[in-house]
Amino acid sequence: MAEKGQLSREFAEEQSSLWRIAFAPTVWAVHFVACYATAAVACAKFPEAELAHVGVWRVAISAGTLVALALIAWIGWRAWRHWDYLDDHDYSHGRDDNESRHEFLGHAGFLLAVVSFIGVLATWLPAFLIEGCT
Amino acid sequence: MTDTTPDRPQRRPRQEQITPDTAGEKAIGPYPPTEEMLAEPVPEELRRAQENRLREVWKEPQGWRYISAVNNSEVGKWYSLTAFGFMLLAGVLALVMRVQLAVPGAEVLDADRYNQFFTMHGSAMMFLFAVPMFEAISILILPAFLGARDMPFPRLSAYGFWCFVIGGVFVMGSLLFDAAPSSGWFMYPPLSTKQGGIGADIWLLGLSFIEVASIAAAVELIVGVLKCRPPGMRVNLMPLYAWYVLVVGGMILFAFPPLIAGDLLFELERGFDWPFFDPDRGGDPMLWQHLFWIFGHPEVYIIFLPSIAIAAMVVPTAARRPIVGYSWIVLSAVGTGFLSFGLWVHHMFATGLPSISLGFFSAASEAVVIPTGIQLFAFVATLMVGKVRMNLPMLWIAGALAIFTAGGLTGIMVALAPFDWQVHDTYFIVAHLHYTLFGGMVLPVIGGVYYFYPFFTKKKMSDRLGRWSFWLTFTGFNITFLPMHLTGLYGMPRRVYTYPGGLGWEPLNMLSTLGAFVLAAGILVFAWDLLRPKGRQPLTERNPWGGGTLEWSHEVPEEKWGVRSIPHITSRYPLWDQPKLVERMDAGRYYLPDSDEGHRETLVTSVIDARPLQILRVTGPAWITMWAAAFTGGAFIFPTFSMYTPAIVCAAFAIVCVCYWLWTSTALIPARERKDAGLGLSLPTYVAGPQAVGWWGMWITMLGDATAFASLVFGVFFYWTAGSDFPPENALHADWRYVLLACALMLTAWAGMLLGRTRNRKGESGAAPILIGAALAAACGIAALIAAVIEMSPTSHVYPAMMCALVVWCVAHIGGGIIMLAYCAAALIFGRATPTHDAPLWNVSLYWHFMAAMVVTVTLCLAILPRLV
Amino acid sequence: MTSATGRRFLCLAAVLLVAGCEGGPQSALAPAGRDASDLARLFWIMLAGAVVLWIALNGLFLFVTRIRPGALSRGWAEGIIIGGGIALPLVVLTALLVYALPLMPAQRAPGDGLTVRVTGEQWWWRVEYRPEGAEDWVTSANEIRLPVGQRTEIELTSGEVIHSFWIPALGGKTDMFPGRTTRMTLLPEEAGIFRGQCAEFCGLSHALMALNAVALEPAEFEAWLAAEAGPATLPRGEGAALFAREGCGACHSVRGTDWAGQVGPDLTHFGSRTSLAAGTLPLTREALVGWIADPGAVKPGAEMPSYGHMTTDELATLSDWLMGLQ
Repeated sequence: MAEKGQLSREFAEEQSSLWRIAFAPTVWAVHFVACYATAAVACAKFPEAELAHVGVWRVAISAGTLVALALIAWIGWRAWRHWDYLDDHDYSHGRDDNESRHEFLGHAGFLLAVVSFIGVLATWLPAFLIEGCT
Repeated sequence: MTDTTPDRPQRRPRQEQITPDTAGEKAIGPYPPTEEMLAEPVPEELRRAQENRLREVWKEPQGWRYISAVNNSEVGKWYSLTAFGFMLLAGVLALVMRVQLAVPGAEVLDADRYNQFFTMHGSAMMFLFAVPMFEAISILILPAFLGARDMPFPRLSAYGFWCFVIGGVFVMGSLLFDAAPSSGWFMYPPLSTKQGGIGADIWLLGLSFIEVASIAAAVELIVGVLKCRPPGMRVNLMPLYAWYVLVVGGMILFAFPPLIAGDLLFELERGFDWPFFDPDRGGDPMLWQHLFWIFGHPEVYIIFLPSIAIAAMVVPTAARRPIVGYSWIVLSAVGTGFLSFGLWVHHMFATGLPSISLGFFSAASEAVVIPTGIQLFAFVATLMVGKVRMNLPMLWIAGALAIFTAGGLTGIMVALAPFDWQVHDTYFIVAHLHYTLFGGMVLPVIGGVYYFYPFFTKKKMSDRLGRWSFWLTFTGFNITFLPMHLTGLYGMPRRVYTYPGGLGWEPLNMLSTLGAFVLAAGILVFAWDLLRPKGRQPLTERNPWGGGTLEWSHEVPEEKWGVRSIPHITSRYPLWDQPKLVERMDAGRYYLPDSDEGHRETLVTSVIDARPLQILRVTGPAWITMWAAAFTGGAFIFPTFSMYTPAIVCAAFAIVCVCYWLWTSTALIPARERKDAGLGLSLPTYVAGPQAVGWWGMWITMLGDATAFASLVFGVFFYWTAGSDFPPENALHADWRYVLLACALMLTAWAGMLLGRTRNRKGESGAAPILIGAALAAACGIAALIAAVIEMSPTSHVYPAMMCALVVWCVAHIGGGIIMLAYCAAALIFGRATPTHDAPLWNVSLYWHFMAAMVVTVTLCLAILPRLV
Repeated sequence: MTSATGRRFLCLAAVLLVAGCEGGPQSALAPAGRDASDLARLFWIMLAGAVVLWIALNGLFLFVTRIRPGALSRGWAEGIIIGGGIALPLVVLTALLVYALPLMPAQRAPGDGLTVRVTGEQWWWRVEYRPEGAEDWVTSANEIRLPVGQRTEIELTSGEVIHSFWIPALGGKTDMFPGRTTRMTLLPEEAGIFRGQCAEFCGLSHALMALNAVALEPAEFEAWLAAEAGPATLPRGEGAALFAREGCGACHSVRGTDWAGQVGPDLTHFGSRTSLAAGTLPLTREALVGWIADPGAVKPGAEMPSYGHMTTDELATLSDWLMGLQ
């Protein structure tokens, strides 16, 4: 499809933008699997680990959590700019134009980033609250 | 009825002109259409001629040939009625079980038959009702939401349906021979692997077969949503139902394959004694639990989301205004889709996993409340701002909400691992899951049937019977299941065929049994209302509820063509916001008003903005799909009785049928390269590569396939973490030289495929011989791979078994790849594919990309990783 | 509605209305152990919250669909989504997780010394005791005795298929796997007899795999365990000869004799138990006669063969003798 004659290249049909809204939840999923795998391997392969060991992987999980949160925050920030809410205070995106579609994907991506952020924090909570492998 | 929102000014995008020199496979002509173009009337004579031609093309086969129909309206109808039939059967099983449990020590059912009944009740409700019902309803209504004529692959729908019927009858029929599976719908080994009889095999193979049908439907639905929307229906204007279908289709692709991988391991253990779940030989029954619940938990949301999607269509109509928080609902659908994959271990809280691991799953199980809550509150918000008219469908939705919220709240309780230690596998869970499934699936679906019935049949169901049915169902349900919470807390476990007196369970159980009959009466009233002959009843008006979405534009009386012409959409609720839309659709003013070549056609549009891309010729009535389904059925059913030769013969015939079907009806080289789609737009009729629906179908199928493969690799990782003897000391490893040779040969085949495609595109000769050479290389690769593991003894220990399972998987897939290469070579030789018409080559090279990744992974797992551990 | 069902209905209504309804000896709402009472408290807290939330949400729905005075503003509606969909669950769920997750390690805290190993069989329980510091296990079956006020380590495993060990009045359940050992601990706080049952579907007679847990005061428990560790005191009578003649010792052990079968439950102190056939029958002579004559009639699929060929007198004699194994 030719994009010539569009008002703005920014709103051009984004092949990747449908995937983009899934980025933040994907970070959540990777973080979740990584936490689970870390705990599973730590508890299965080092069952008699001393507390120091236990501490090490809990720190590792916390560090991974920070990375994941930072990534999601960045994705969320980009989506927020995408949405560009403050520009026209549009949150229904029901119009038939490129801008509306563009901002809708930004809006959905932003909201998914919020939920993913909460999801990552929730995954981290057990690592904070529970010590050891019992 | 119209409803205009103040915050929605109509802005017209600028029209673009595409000229022939930039066209290629592109659309030529003005798009989007202007108001002047749309206002121009269609001559009456032309209109009638077009109607006659369309009617002729979309006519259903008559008489006994009717069953060869593939039209979504027919297949969808059969599909949903069959699923409903299985639901009634599974409901009867539940009633008999309730009778058995009415009093302590009853002898209505003996232990074995009770176990068969509860196994089949769960399996049938899940595999033969809930998931197929989603597919059936979606096949039935999705094209209408999208203003499409049909699904992109009608024969695939039909194939899926016939697979479902054969598999469902086979599995349910086993009850009549007292041979039904009896280890629970979760089939935990070692109980199920050690069990004699064929029950477990029937479950495994019969349901694997149906899972294949489900994946076929998912592929079809995803492609339908992405590629078959009407022009102008950008992603931000899609009906919410389409969003849900997209999410649920994606979930099926990632949830069902782990179970299929599990089934493969399971059947290899039952049929050939490979010890995947046998702890004496290094196996571990926990792997099955992981694979089963990685499927089993998303499955719950696969059932729940489409029903919520129905509610998302009913609620705005009842509120008489657009949904509030469209983006919020999309967020919640996508978010739930993701989060639901992080919950599987909450079915395994009592398995003694480390507290920390349980904690992750507790937390994720609680986090999923957030998107679900957003979803419900968006409905409430919509009703708040609208002027609600409580119609019958809305009554069912309200009842569903009351029941579902109760189930959700007990879900919050059981998601906390320590509390689950008390109630897990008790009647508390039975109550919880029925609250979520009745509230989250059964009631909204019945509400949806009341809502969409005028669309399906152009008649209305009875309002009076509908209310009777609702109140009977609602009260019966609560009398049955509310006491079960207490029964469970009083200590009654699930899946017990009898129980002693004196534990405080008698009055609760009696009450549940009585309630079950009231509930059954409610469902029966509904069934009667659904099926009673309505011959004399007048036809309904065209849009009886005053809905705003495209399905209500369909003609009364029914026309098989779906939409008379495919409209250009500029709103989420076109029937509310585009005043002359229906009139112009009927007049054939919009796209594809005609079928001048006598082919069934629909419009393919782009993924994001739904710009017209192609006129797709879709397939018509056929018997070949039934033959393909029957032989596929044979390939799955014969192994149940350990009859492997007939199974292999059936599989071969199934492949032949599928090849014949593809050869004769897909990617046909069209007589005309371009056609006029109406409104001055000229569209190509043949598209190859990433813009083609076939390519998308392949891509989506392969995502699912890759998930199944990933599940096998997860198995390798799992055995390594769970046991200390994987691989065992001094184990015989696969011969690394042969593995590397196999890898090299298969990668050569992949390169050959790409080279062949590129040469053909450039019009250079020799593409067909290159493809044949690639097939030969792949065949040698198979031989090398088998040679690599031939010395290993898969029955001795789980390590060689797992390695051999990877090889089995790889060999089967490369075998498929060889057939595809041969198909492409034949297509080139016989002129079914040319340099400009090379869709099969694109699709097969996509398949081979996945093969290349798989082969490399298998090489790592087989030859390299075990030597590093 | 018949008067009988009517009465039942009234009973139930009464049961539901009476606060603190506790159920029978297998109820999680009648806790007699530390873990069970923690979980019961958790349940009551969550139930209260759930009832409030259910009424609030459905009340709101009823309000907007039926009783509402007029259309509400869009701002309000969006606020409802954020408040109800994100803020409220976030607060409630975080509080719940912070309160409930630390219960897990607490419930699995190490035992105070005594270890009980329970092995699930189809469909009965092999039970072995090892006091702190002891080398040998004391074997028993189909009943578990625990000291009050001490946390006992429970080691769980299984013979053939997966089972799940669960005494609701004392604490939560844990699955038992063949080829794998799982663990849990229990801390009874009241003496008494509590019923437990296998909670994971384990085949034909899953429904008939129960056991009694007897919580004893520590001194009483010590005395009992000392007695249980000793050999059987064989009662007089013909029973022993019948036991030998029928080959019972091939499957069952009676410590202090040559009968040392391991396939079936240990019978050394059979007569002192509180139930027969893994919590399925009362331990009476009549029930025992019926059981020996045809175990499959009581427990479908039971591996013990039928001894219906023995005369009524012989069965009675054998039963009396077995009941005498105190």
